[in-house]
Amino acid sequence: MTRLSNEEQVVDFVRQARRDKRPFEIVGGGTRRGAGKPMGALPVADVGGISGIVQYEPQELILTVRPGTSLIEIKSVLAEKNQCLGFDPVDWSLFGTPGKSTIGGAVSSDASGSGRLRHGGARDSLLGFRAVNGFGEVFKAGGKVVKNVTGFDLPKLVCGAFGTLCVLTEMTFRVFPKPRFSTTIVLKDLAPEPGFAALRKVWKSALEPTGLAYLPGALGPEFGKGAALIRLEGEEIPLQEKCAAAQILTGPGERLPDSDSFAALGAGAAFNTSPLDVWRVFLPPSKAAAVASALAAPLWYGDWAGGAIWAGMPGEAGPGVRTLAQEAGGHAMLLRAPAERRAALGVFPPQPAALAEITARVKAAFDPLALFNPGRL
Amino acid sequence: MKFPPSNQDIIARRAQIIAALRAIVPDGVVADESGLAAFDGDALGAYRQMPLACVLPSSREQVSAILRYASAERVPVVPRGAGTSLSGGALPRADGILIGMGRMKRILEIDYDNRCVTVEPGVTNLNITKAVEGEGFYYAPDPSSQIACTIGGNVAENSGGLHCLKYGLTTNNLLGVTVVLPDGEIVKLGGKAPGAAGLDLMGLMTGSEGLLGMVVEATVRILKKPPVTRTLMAAFASVPDAGACVAAIIADGIVPAAMEFMDKASVAAVEAYNAPGYPLEAAAILIIDADGLEAEVADAIARIGEHVRAAGGSVTEATEEAARAKLWAGRKASFAAMGRLAPDMMCMDGTIPRQALPAVLEKIGEYSRAHGLPVCNVFHAGDGNLHPLIIFDAMKEGELERAEAFGADILRLCVAVGGVLSGEHGVGVEKRDLMGDMFTPVDLEQQHRVKCAFDSAGLLNPGKVFPTLSACVEQGHMHVRGAELPFPHLPRY
Repeated sequence: MTRLSNEEQVVDFVRQARRDKRPFEIVGGGTRRGAGKPMGALPVADVGGISGIVQYEPQELILTVRPGTSLIEIKSVLAEKNQCLGFDPVDWSLFGTPGKSTIGGAVSSDASGSGRLRHGGARDSLLGFRAVNGFGEVFKAGGKVVKNVTGFDLPKLVCGAFGTLCVLTEMTFRVFPKPRFSTTIVLKDLAPEPGFAALRKVWKSALEPTGLAYLPGALGPEFGKGAALIRLEGEEIPLQEKCAAAQILTGPGERLPDSDSFAALGAGAAFNTSPLDVWRVFLPPSKAAAVASALAAPLWYGDWAGGAIWAGMPGEAGPGVRTLAQEAGGHAMLLRAPAERRAALGVFPPQPAALAEITARVKAAFDPLALFNPGRL
Repeated sequence: MKFPPSNQDIIARRAQIIAALRAIVPDGVVADESGLAAFDGDALGAYRQMPLACVLPSSREQVSAILRYASAERVPVVPRGAGTSLSGGALPRADGILIGMGRMKRILEIDYDNRCVTVEPGVTNLNITKAVEGEGFYYAPDPSSQIACTIGGNVAENSGGLHCLKYGLTTNNLLGVTVVLPDGEIVKLGGKAPGAAGLDLMGLMTGSEGLLGMVVEATVRILKKPPVTRTLMAAFASVPDAGACVAAIIADGIVPAAMEFMDKASVAAVEAYNAPGYPLEAAAILIIDADGLEAEVADAIARIGEHVRAAGGSVTEATEEAARAKLWAGRKASFAAMGRLAPDMMCMDGTIPRQALPAVLEKIGEYSRAHGLPVCNVFHAGDGNLHPLIIFDAMKEGELERAEAFGADILRLCVAVGGVLSGEHGVGVEKRDLMGDMFTPVDLEQQHRVKCAFDSAGLLNPGKVFPTLSACVEQGHMHVRGAELPFPHLPRY
C-alpha cells in the first residue's frame, strides 16, 4: 500500500504506474471496497490522507473539500451552519467494514441516502473537482459556483464511476439549508400496494418530503402488514402545516419526532447481519409494489417513494432480480455479494453494444491504460 | 470573431449532399436561398451564416440516417432546436448540414404516477407545462425564451431560468434521454428510475452544446405547482447593503423561488419604459419570490422582510397576482427597456460568488468609464448569475470594438473572482475564445478527449465551445442591433 497525501504525490504515483503499465486500486476510507466487481490483488493507493476542508462559504452554499475528508466531519461542519449535503451521503454499514467513510468514496459510489428524494443524487450536488487523469495530469472541471454551464459537465461523470476515471484530489459541492425541525409520519398496517400508493400521494404533492419509505411487516411487529414512513421538514409552524396537509392526503397515522430510521435505511443497516446478497433495485416508483411482490425477498424495504427497493436475496435468485427490474423499466445494482457472484453478475446490468462502446471510449478518454480500479464498474 | 475557412470540397458537393438528404427526408430538405435565410443563425445576432443545406427530420430513424450519412461523407452537422441560443450554439456553417428538430414535436407520454413527461425534442419548454398544468403540475426550468425554445435545445444547453436556485437547471430535472451519436447509433440514457446504470452519460450530454450527440427524446421531471407565491421588492441605498441582505437571506436557510437584483441604471431604464413603480433613488433593488404552502411562504416573507430592514432597505410587498405581475414587469422588460437607450447592446452572462458582487459592480463601473460605454446590471442574485448589458452604437467608429473589449473584461473579471464564463447561455461561439481564461490547456485537453470519444472526426457542431488555433479575436457578447433582438417577441430577462 502506498499512502498518498497530496496531489503532487498522486501525480508521481500515476506517472510511475503509467510507465510500469501497472493498474492499482484507489482506496479512501476503505469502507466500500466490497462494492463493485472484484479486481483481484492490485497495488493499493491509499488516498484517505488527501483530506480536509479547503473552503466553506455558507452564504454561497458552497463547500470545497479534499476527497479523503470523512462524512462525519463534513456533516458536523455543515450542521454548525444549519446546512447539509443534498445527496444525503451514507456510510454503507452493511459491509461491516471498520474505518471512516469518506466523501470521495460516497460520491464515487453515488451512495445517496433517503434525502436523494428531495435534492437529487451526488450528480446534483457535485459542482466541480480537481483530479489526476490516467496521463498523470492534473485537471479541473466544473466550477465553484452554483450555476455554471461553461464546458462539459465532467462532474456528472465522476459520480458513481467507482473511481474508474481519475483520482480525485478536490471536490466542490453545492450545499443546502437543513430545516430546523423534522417529523416522520408513520402509517401502519398497510400492505405494499396501498403503502407505496400513500407515499406517491405525498411525492406528487407540493410538500417537498425529504424521506418516503415503506417497511414491510417482517421488519417489525409494530408495523402490522407494513408501514409507510413520511419525513417532512421545515420551520416550526410551516412544518405543522405540512404534516396536516400530508395527513389529509394519506390518513392520520402517527407523528414521530425525527428518529434515525431513515439514516439506517440508506446505510442498509437491516442487512448488517444477514448472509443474503443485497440488491438495490431502481424503479419507476409506480412499479415498486408489483416488483416487491414478484421479488418475494426474505428481507427488503423501499425508499425514495418506491424509486429504490433494497432486497436481500439468496445468491441463485440474482439473474431473476435483473430481469424483473428491467421489465419494470428500471435496473438492479448488485451492492453486496460474494466475489464470485459480483464477478459473474457485475454491479450493473450489461449494456447494449452501442452504449457499452461509447462508455468504454469515454473511460479511455480519462484513463486509456485502465490504471484506475480496472474492471470495477 | 474568426471562423476557420469553409471546406470548399464539401461546398462543391452540395447538389449531391442535398440529393442524399432528400432520399432520407423526402419532404424536409430546405435548399433554396430564401428558405435557408430563415435558418442563418440564432439569437446571437452578431453572426449570420447560411447553411449548406437544412434538413428537417420527423423521426429518430431519419436523424440517425442523416448522421450516418454525414459521418460517412465527412460533412459537418449543426443541430438546431428553435434557434433561440444566445451564445451562437446553433450558428450554421457554409460547409455544414443544419438539422432542424422542429418537426419532432409530439408529447409522447404523460405519466403523473411517476411524475414525468416524455417528449420529442421539438416540444417547446412551455408546452410541457401547458400539457400538465390542468392537473396542477409544471416543468420547473424556465428560460426567458420558454414560449419558443425547445426541450432538445434546453438539454443541449442545460438551460436555466429565474428559478434555478430552488429548482435547478435542466440537468437536475431530466430523467432520461435518447440520443443519436455522431455515427448514427441510437442510445437510451437514464429513464423513469432514479440513477444511472453505469457512467452518467446523460449528465455529460446535458449542456454539451450539441457537440456529442443529438437528443431525439427526453423524459423530464414535473413538479406540483406550489399553492402560494408571494413577491417582495426591497430597495437599498447602496449595492453593498443589497449584497449583505442577499447573503443574510441565504445564510438564514431561506431558498427563495427567485431573487433578482437590478442596479440604479437598470431601474431608471425600466421606469422610463413601463413604470413598474421601482424607486428611482435606490442604488439597487431586489425582487424576491417565495413559494410553497401558505404558512411556509408567510414565514419566509416575514424573515426576508426582517433581513431587508436589517440591511437598511425598505420593503414593498405584493400578494395579489396583479401586484406581483407589476413588480415583475419591470425586471422582465429590462432588456427591452435598455435597448431604447442606444441602438445596440450586448448581454453578458457570467456567474460570480455572490459576496463578490459589490466589488465586481464597482470594477464594472471602472471599466465602463475606461471604455466610455454605459452599462446596466441585472443579476440572478440567488445563484450569482450576472447579466451586465453594455450599451453602444455600432455605427459609431470603434464602439463595437470597445464594447467587445469591455465584455471580455467583464467575463475575465468573473473568472478572476472565482466565478465562471457562463451561468446559463452557454459558451457557443460567443465565449469560445475566452475558455482559456477559465481553463488550463490540460483542462481543455481533457474535455477535448471526451469530445473525441464521441466524435473523432469532429463533425458535430464544430467550431463551438472550444477555442481553435485560427481564432484570434477575444470577445464574448450578445449583440443586439437597433434594440431589436433576433426574437423580438421573446421577453428576454
